[in-house]
Amino acid sequence: MGRSAPRSYGSTMSRRRLALVAVAAGALAGGALAAALALSTGGSSKPASAPVGAARVAAMLEGIPQQGTELGSRRAPVTLVEFADPQCPYCGDWARVALPVIVRDYVRPGKVRIVFSGMHFVGPESETALRAALAAAAQNRFWNVLELLYENQGTENSGWVSDTLLRSIGDAVPGLGAKTVIDGQRSAAVERLLAASDALAQQAGVQSTPTFALGRTGSKLAFVNVPSLDASGIEPAIDAALKQ
Amino acid sequence: MSERRLQETIAVLAILGAGIAGYLTVAHVTHTPVACVRSGGCETVQHSAYSELWGIPVAAIGLAGYLLIAVSSRRRTDPARVAGAAAALAGLVFAAYLVYVQVGVIHAVCQWCMASDVVVALLVVATFLRISRSAAPR
Repeated sequence: MGRSAPRSYGSTMSRRRLALVAVAAGALAGGALAAALALSTGGSSKPASAPVGAARVAAMLEGIPQQGTELGSRRAPVTLVEFADPQCPYCGDWARVALPVIVRDYVRPGKVRIVFSGMHFVGPESETALRAALAAAAQNRFWNVLELLYENQGTENSGWVSDTLLRSIGDAVPGLGAKTVIDGQRSAAVERLLAASDALAQQAGVQSTPTFALGRTGSKLAFVNVPSLDASGIEPAIDAALKQ
Repeated sequence: MSERRLQETIAVLAILGAGIAGYLTVAHVTHTPVACVRSGGCETVQHSAYSELWGIPVAAIGLAGYLLIAVSSRRRTDPARVAGAAAALAGLVFAAYLVYVQVGVIHAVCQWCMASDVVVALLVVATFLRISRSAAPR
């Protein structure tokens, strides 16, 4: 006959002691893991200087849905496609001057969705910058990186698209991190997005940047002549499309 | 509930949690999209800077924790009971931080992670209940 299982429960003191040991060990281990993760993502690895415009860009994009290279609700009645190069100074002007107004007045209220179609003809740094932004697209942070690139834009092919800048941008975007922006540039997803934007620009016959195409969502878009690089240059076309 | 029944409950929950963590680990390592009800949330979390700790997928850390709890559930010793409860509580504390990260930092929620959080919360209850129902140390 085998030995029967013990029937009596342990003393209250010993059980309480075991539970206390478990609480102490568990809380310590869980807290250590959380602290390690917090430090590894934003603590000691954080660069000394944040990129220019980090707070402004974060505030501008806060709460607006992003899907890959799209900004704004997919149910928005009007779609605006922007063909631009991260190194192009006029694209930078538009991003810094017109975009915040367009986002505030049209994208945030759900009237317009903007789709960015990246180009990289200014020089090798255009492709590096575009790849860095596309690397953030999988996390729906493309626009955060793109706008920070425009905020920190330097002279074409002067070396401004440095690893230091890209790291600081990656670390400045909540939930992104430098590793994604640096290591993700050659991923299969980025290659696909880059090929798709190249094909779209070629198919549309875009020759200069920034170029805009606008129309009702789901219907054929038409190129828009933008007379100025502030919001007033494109607002009449958007208003007309909204009234259609 | 007897200790034997609690052991079985803990084992089942730990295997369920290991299944979720294992799926997320494989999806992370192979860069496979995660099946998610609300589009984008799981992908955003899975590809965020918070998805790895020192190069190790966070889901793999969860998988190791669940396996430890599963193994500890089979042994009727005080170190095993304490190890199971401590691992479950550590998982819950870490999970609470990850919920904060999803909601407050990444602004995206992964349903698989939330399902794992529910499992680990149930494991905390079961493992500590097991300690309270255990036999006296000999």
